Amino acid sequence: MSRLEAKKPSLCKSEPLTSERVRATLCVLKGILTSSYGPSGRLKQVHSGFGGCVCTTSQSSALLSNLPVTHPILKILTTSMQNHVSCFRDCGLFTAILCCNLIENVQRTGLTPTTVTKLNQHLLSLCTSYLKSESCGCRILVDFSSPQTLLCLVRSIVTSKPACMLTREERDHLSALILRAFLLTIPENTKDRLILGNSIIVPLKGQRVLDSSVLPGILIEMSEIQLMKILPIKKSEAFKVALFCASLSGDFSDTGEGTMVVTYGVSLENAVLEQLLSLGRQLVSDHVDLVVCQKVIHPSLKQFLSMHRVIAIDRVGVALMEPLSKVTATICSLLLCNRNDTAWDELKLTCQTALHVLQLTIKEPCVLLGGGCTETHLAAYIRHKTCNEPESILKDDGCTQTELQLSTEAFCSALESVAGSLEHDGGEVLTDMKYGHFWSAHAEAPSIVNWPDLLSRCGCGLYNSQEELHWSFLKSTRHPFVPQTYLPHEATGSADNLTLDCFTAKLSGLQVAVETANLILDLSYVIEDKN
Amino acid sequence: MSRGGPRKPGLRPPGPCRPREEGRLSPGNSFPEALTSQLPPPAPPLPPPGPPPSGGCLLPPALRAMAATGSVEAALQVAEALETIVSRCLGPEGRQVLCTKPTGEVLLSRDGGRLLGALHLEHPAARLVVAYVSSHLRKTGDGAKTFVVFLCHLLRGLHAMTDGEQDSLASKHMQTHRRHWKNCCRWKLISQFLLTFQTHRLDYIVDHYLSRHFGSIFSSSTKERTLCRSSLESLLAAYFGGRVGRNNRDFMSRLTCDYFFKCMARERGSEEVLDLVDDYFVELSVGVTGLPVSDSRITPGLVLPRDFSVYRPADGDIRIVIVTETVQPLFSTSGSEFILRSEAQFQTSRFWIMERTKAIMKHLQSQNVKLLLSSVKQPDSVIYYSGLAGISVVECLSPEEVSLIRRITGLSPLALPHASSQDEICNTVLVKFCKPLTFRSKRYVHLGVISTSSFIPHCVVLCGPVQGLVEQHRDALHGAFKMLRQLLKDLDLNYLIQTSDQNHTSSPLVYNESDPLPEVVNGSIQRPRQDTVLRNKSKPAKTQTYSDLVVPSVELETCIIPCSAPKVTPTGTYQTDETLRCFSPTKTRINGDNEPFIESNSANSTENTRREISYENLQITKIPGKGNLLPVREKTLEICAAQGHCFSTIPAGCVLPVGGNFEILLHYYLLHYAKKCQQSEETMVSMIIANALLGVPKILYKSKKGNCSFPQIYVRTLHALQTHQPMVSSQTGLESVAGKYQLLTSVLQCLTKILTIDLVINIKRQPQEIYDQDSEEEV
Repeated sequence: MSRLEAKKPSLCKSEPLTSERVRATLCVLKGILTSSYGPSGRLKQVHSGFGGCVCTTSQSSALLSNLPVTHPILKILTTSMQNHVSCFRDCGLFTAILCCNLIENVQRTGLTPTTVTKLNQHLLSLCTSYLKSESCGCRILVDFSSPQTLLCLVRSIVTSKPACMLTREERDHLSALILRAFLLTIPENTKDRLILGNSIIVPLKGQRVLDSSVLPGILIEMSEIQLMKILPIKKSEAFKVALFCASLSGDFSDTGEGTMVVTYGVSLENAVLEQLLSLGRQLVSDHVDLVVCQKVIHPSLKQFLSMHRVIAIDRVGVALMEPLSKVTATICSLLLCNRNDTAWDELKLTCQTALHVLQLTIKEPCVLLGGGCTETHLAAYIRHKTCNEPESILKDDGCTQTELQLSTEAFCSALESVAGSLEHDGGEVLTDMKYGHFWSAHAEAPSIVNWPDLLSRCGCGLYNSQEELHWSFLKSTRHPFVPQTYLPHEATGSADNLTLDCFTAKLSGLQVAVETANLILDLSYVIEDKN
Repeated sequence: MSRGGPRKPGLRPPGPCRPREEGRLSPGNSFPEALTSQLPPPAPPLPPPGPPPSGGCLLPPALRAMAATGSVEAALQVAEALETIVSRCLGPEGRQVLCTKPTGEVLLSRDGGRLLGALHLEHPAARLVVAYVSSHLRKTGDGAKTFVVFLCHLLRGLHAMTDGEQDSLASKHMQTHRRHWKNCCRWKLISQFLLTFQTHRLDYIVDHYLSRHFGSIFSSSTKERTLCRSSLESLLAAYFGGRVGRNNRDFMSRLTCDYFFKCMARERGSEEVLDLVDDYFVELSVGVTGLPVSDSRITPGLVLPRDFSVYRPADGDIRIVIVTETVQPLFSTSGSEFILRSEAQFQTSRFWIMERTKAIMKHLQSQNVKLLLSSVKQPDSVIYYSGLAGISVVECLSPEEVSLIRRITGLSPLALPHASSQDEICNTVLVKFCKPLTFRSKRYVHLGVISTSSFIPHCVVLCGPVQGLVEQHRDALHGAFKMLRQLLKDLDLNYLIQTSDQNHTSSPLVYNESDPLPEVVNGSIQRPRQDTVLRNKSKPAKTQTYSDLVVPSVELETCIIPCSAPKVTPTGTYQTDETLRCFSPTKTRINGDNEPFIESNSANSTENTRREISYENLQITKIPGKGNLLPVREKTLEICAAQGHCFSTIPAGCVLPVGGNFEILLHYYLLHYAKKCQQSEETMVSMIIANALLGVPKILYKSKKGNCSFPQIYVRTLHALQTHQPMVSSQTGLESVAGKYQLLTSVLQCLTKILTIDLVINIKRQPQEIYDQDSEEEV
């Protein structure tokens, strides 16, 4: 029987987005994502009937990698988000929700994909150039002379992961810890180029979160018996370490393509072992205290070394080799504690995110206002811009004013819905008509309310409600207004408890969301290979 | 082609056409599977809006029965199904298609070739079409969608034309079998006409009529052929308009243009650069997912997709060597034997090997080598000693990467046995820099190689949110260079010139300069051309010779109005467009056979000079590609039927504005030709081709309204042609003439093949290349 099989013809579906099933699944996905968004987001428990761990999370990276996605369109969406997350580690949910919202809103407008993708691209470039401009009203430059901004940034990230199950005290402790760990990786005397060190997260499960700590240097796991043998170390002078990346197991490497004839009675193993032991003798005579090997150390050599009170650690693996070989550089270990495995996993992801975001912030020293304020502010800016200066967009595209208005509305309300997704308890979501910031009110609001009393601070915490402000419901239509640009410096300096977002990750997330939405909206066919 | 699927014999419609497939797939396949229970039960699939009403579901089941005969109808049905799919992706308004692979990968594409491949069609006619399309793509890299549309329209035209006849043929008494046979004969005949037309007439029309409209992407300012940047940009914009999403069109064409000009050391090296980029495109591009498309960029130097095995930062002059074998000597080489007699010997050998490796690396260090590139994995000791010697190492280079570096730098691999000797190593070159590069936490080696050729090495980093999009852009970019490579080559045209003195009425069509005598006698045919000669008279003596011919021809002018092309003020039609006026110098191949012919007699010499004049005339009016028709055989001078092969070219860099210009122009000239045709078959064939050509512009202008709708454009263009006014194109952008021309010939060849098939035999057998005779008998 031939193993060649006739290929089955593919299945070709036209206009995939119009299919009811696709809409429904998109809607389900959006539901999953929005309900997990933000500090008060609901947790998702992902478990497989075939076994394995149960994962309780609200983070996009964990969610998206676990969801079984089969429809090609959703696959595009989720892979796009996963790729974003693996680049930036942050703003995954923001990107995914924005993308879903855009697709949904655009479909509702009934505009042709051609027009919509063109206009979306224009609106996106308006957003990016505004966010990068000096006049941007939702961007704060990071002042490295004080840790305040960076601490706020880390705290916002830790706070936005409810599945870590942290109390307020634990959050503060951990945020400070993460920032300290990051600062330890910055070399003290830098030349022209800054090369950051590593921070290694060491798991200590089952302990109190408050027991977490940061240590400079590297921790290598070792059995207690081994430890008992070498303790106490009485040496006062320098501690000598020998690091091997090659195997010390005495295996015999490549002999070439020809044949090798070994005469009877000659033992190559002995020869190799003899070499290993002479290496051991050399190490001992060089007063080496610790031998670390990436691969396996031959038991005889190990025994020989321990007889001479040299600590031998093997199989440290390639992951540890790099920081080990750079041990003179800046490295620290973050001992991370949490009560159980699931929460620890979530906490570890959170720490990695925060450390990565700090690295990104060093490269691009600014942050965006969080808590939904950037989204609503941006939406207000775009609305105002397209209402007052539509010519700049319309002149080269052959679109009508109406098409631009419809498209802008779809775009801006997609942004606003992302902000609105932060509210999960049925409260009202509003925006003020001066700064364009995001405000949310408690659910049990009386019908006639005094807004300044009900609202305390805006989403990012920059403004409080006692100013003379006017509010409008996010879902209602309102006249376009100019949101206040140029963030005053004193405003950002005074507030010490702001909610902040990573600039680089959010900007890229915005671009990726719009590009992915455009891509999906532009699909005319799906051809599924059924083999 | 006749391989049938494992299913029942009969017409197998392409996948999209079966509603039952749709039904089979709807339940249980949705995302997320775990969640479907929460959803309302899946609704029946909605019919998609717009034509076609059934969303690509084109083949009525009734047609499946007819599949046994390789009929035009069956082929038409298939072509129509394919047309529906590709036409939505065609042109600047075309949309994307998402293809999934069995491995779970998703790919975005607007590439016709890829779409057709992804469909895995089973229908024999469809497979034939796909085979032709892919062979066309291998040649030109573009035009798959146009191929399908054009083929479909040709088949439709043939079908419509024969519909009437069929009714009369299909009289009741005629047996089905005989009717089928008769049909086959007729199709065979038509296919022969098509083939004759394609090989003997088409080139002539392109060369004679169409060529006057060609523009060039070379700028005319200098004698040298230099690429005009703005023309190249509009060419690429038009190309990417059909290959990538609309949002990325301008970005991608700018990126490609930048890349091309950055890689080109001097103006004249474009061919070399294109060859190299096309051959090594995989090595010259890096895909990065997770970033927005707008982050794509061009980096100088080469980017190797692997990390350093050892990295030792170095400044200043960095000397590199390539090795293709392990630096460390081995115990035994292939074919040899190493005899080990004692443990001490073994240890000495190992020691020697180590020392030897160390010595080689020391020697490399003394020669100032800072980087070792290796195509194989090197043993640990090599890595160790090179680290000590301050030499960075990159291992496991692919053969293509090695060959690219060798081609750029001229560096040849190091011969190791000599490496440790004291003399200088000559196989080294300098690089500007050598450093690690990180894209989204993946590490690369960035190498600033210095080129010895006209290619300045640059890499293009393509970013995109998903791998599928990056792949699409990579394919499109590669295709663009393929297309440019084709464009910058001359394309040969050759055709048969036929004249028969019995039929002078038909000669306006086939007249040519090489056939002067009968025309001089009859006085009517050559007039337009001589008219041109006179108007541009550069040599008064010649005017004398022909002045008498001009007079009688005047009254004849009225009867050959449609044929007025040659006498049309040959001033080109794109005077308004600055970039299009950059014409390349005309290239003409003169056949060696001319030599004796020139000296033979007075008539010949007259002929010859006249040709010169017309040649000059053409140069003055800047019509590129307007090669002189040079007679090949002396026979052409004889009064009786003359036949000759003519050789000409579509010169490198010929372009036309996009938006169906090529199609409408050729349509016009074909109709014009058809009117002159003597044979009814020839008229028919050129009419069918002419009408089918309009298929593409019809799709391109489908979404346009009012003044830009297809009928408007069509009428305007035809009017402009008839009144010799310059044509105004509504779209900016250019396309390669050679590509379009090749497409046309490929389609006609495909059609000829389809028409000659009378029966499709379905066999139920596994596709096996080599079938063992014995085992077959056993079975």
